Amino acid sequence: MEEAVVMKNVCKDFKVLNRHEGLKGSIKDLFSRDYKTVSAVKDVTMTVNRGEIIGYLGPNGAGKSTTIKIMTGVLEPTSGEILVNGKVPYKNRTENCENIGVVFGQRSQLWWSLPLIESFKLLKDLYMVPEKEYDDMIALYRSLVDIEPILHKPVRQMSLGQRTLSDILAAFLHNPAIVFLDEPTIGLDVSMKSKIRELILGLNKEKNTTVILTTHDMGDVDALCKRIVIIDKGMKIYDNDIDHLKNYFGSYRTLKLKLADDTWEEMLIDEKTTDVMDVIMEKQKEKKIKDVKILEISTEEVIRKIYEGGTK
Amino acid sequence: MNPKRLLALTRAGIMESLYFRLGIFVTLFANLIYLVLVYYLWKAIYASSGTDVVNGMTFTDTMIYLILATAIFNFLEMFVVWDMSRSIQSGKIVLDLLKPMRYRKYTFWSYTGNHVVQFFLTFVPTFIVVMIVTHGAIKFGLNIIWFLVATVFALIINYNIEMLVAPICLFTESTWGINIVKETIVLLLSGATIPLAFFPEKIRMIVQYLPFRAVYDIPLSILLGKSGSDTWDGLLKLFGLQIVWLIVLTVAGNIFWNCAVKKITVNGG
Ligand SMILES: Nc1ncnc2c1ncn2[C@@H]1O[C@H](COP(=O)(O)OP(=O)(O)O)[C@@H](O)[C@H]1O
Ligand SMILES: [Mg+2]
Repeated sequence: MEEAVVMKNVCKDFKVLNRHEGLKGSIKDLFSRDYKTVSAVKDVTMTVNRGEIIGYLGPNGAGKSTTIKIMTGVLEPTSGEILVNGKVPYKNRTENCENIGVVFGQRSQLWWSLPLIESFKLLKDLYMVPEKEYDDMIALYRSLVDIEPILHKPVRQMSLGQRTLSDILAAFLHNPAIVFLDEPTIGLDVSMKSKIRELILGLNKEKNTTVILTTHDMGDVDALCKRIVIIDKGMKIYDNDIDHLKNYFGSYRTLKLKLADDTWEEMLIDEKTTDVMDVIMEKQKEKKIKDVKILEISTEEVIRKIYEGGTK
Repeated sequence: MNPKRLLALTRAGIMESLYFRLGIFVTLFANLIYLVLVYYLWKAIYASSGTDVVNGMTFTDTMIYLILATAIFNFLEMFVVWDMSRSIQSGKIVLDLLKPMRYRKYTFWSYTGNHVVQFFLTFVPTFIVVMIVTHGAIKFGLNIIWFLVATVFALIINYNIEMLVAPICLFTESTWGINIVKETIVLLLSGATIPLAFFPEKIRMIVQYLPFRAVYDIPLSILLGKSGSDTWDGLLKLFGLQIVWLIVLTVAGNIFWNCAVKKITVNGG
């Protein structure tokens, strides 16, 4: 079985009550049968291969979390087919859970008042991880990150970064085939982000774990993902290697100009249609330019262009 | 059914409860105040009735019953309704549904640790004090074993009552009111606040077959050798009632929960 996840034409609609304003509206809503349908995921078809780290990207409200909930089995798709580890997740939720790990951004699955090590022991028993495998996993964790300072700390006393780190470790503990990370780096500082990236990369390498990652931080994508899938308004709009993405926008350059007042002005230029030198000369007529830099387009900008409807 | 999982959950629950040790002292203190109130209230009731025995119970009988009922209440108390509504509102329910165990089972065993702690830290001390103060008004024999069995049944029945109420918050969003209604009904009809012997005959006839009684009154009656529990026949009847409700409520709770989960998986909660 090469595929970790197979989705075919998956759709998910939510029925939501049309709420009215004000007190009168709230009372009216009590008896209202006035529903509207929100399509969170529309006709998504994709395959995730074993051992892959894929970046699942899209603007807020695009349907990323909904897709992940469908893959984990907490949500039932309205239509379409889905197989995770060869099984239909929502029909075998409990069974599916034994083989996946999940981290939902700012929500922790750890036992709040217990030291981390106790949460680990509990998870070990819940997932029935053999003693030897558990010890090996802890040893692997030790080799990848410095877990000593957090291992005996109650989760409630941890910083956000430490907690996220702990949650990621907890998600990998039973050596699941797939780990879902829904915005794991949200709100973290630069050094914690890089620590977490290294950890995810290391675990993926050692255990060949499939990782499905959603994030708004292109640093995560650059560091971790070879392939990205982008959805917008529930529809898949891009699914390919990240290199391909840059080729797609290969003729784009970021032009940075340092002006007389020492500020940098940035613009994105398509070399196919515009000549970079023309732009510089044009600018020079208006203001004095002290320095010029021409850079390749960054992932950040590529993604922004796609969100803004740059493809097709 | 893997006992290791269940023990691990219980163990974690014990550690979590002990972490909030202050809460235990607060419970004990609140109990004390409550019991002082109860003492004077019933003293007044007995004084105004003009006889020593009301509805077949002496003042001491009533006090023993109510003190122990309070102690049982403390260790059987669960916060399923409260916890579930919070976890649905915050979306944490998703994480609980993603545990490799059935949700109902997982939740039940997440609470057992707290029951164990409460049993040893509130029920046992209260019981010992009552034993000493009343100079052996409570028989100490086989009834203790039967009491423990009845308590386990009561625990499961109570959990299932909670699980029949808690998912309502998926449909109404006003959990607070529902919880209050549930608490009041359970406390009143279970005999935890007023001994069932004091209920009017007709109401008692109905109440004694309801499941609420199986939570507090039956274990307590068995402990105190009341309600015919001192004969095999009577004991069997009490256990029979508990087991019937246990089965009925477990089945009903299961069905209701499956509907509720459908609402979460289909409409996202
Ligand atoms: N339980 C729900 N009920 C109704 N609408 C929902 C529910 N969950 C998500 N949605 C809607 O579905 C869309 C996609 O949401 P989500 O998957 O959370 O987006 P993302 O994770 O990409 O930010 C949004 O418009 C959101 O409002
Ligand atoms: Mg999201």
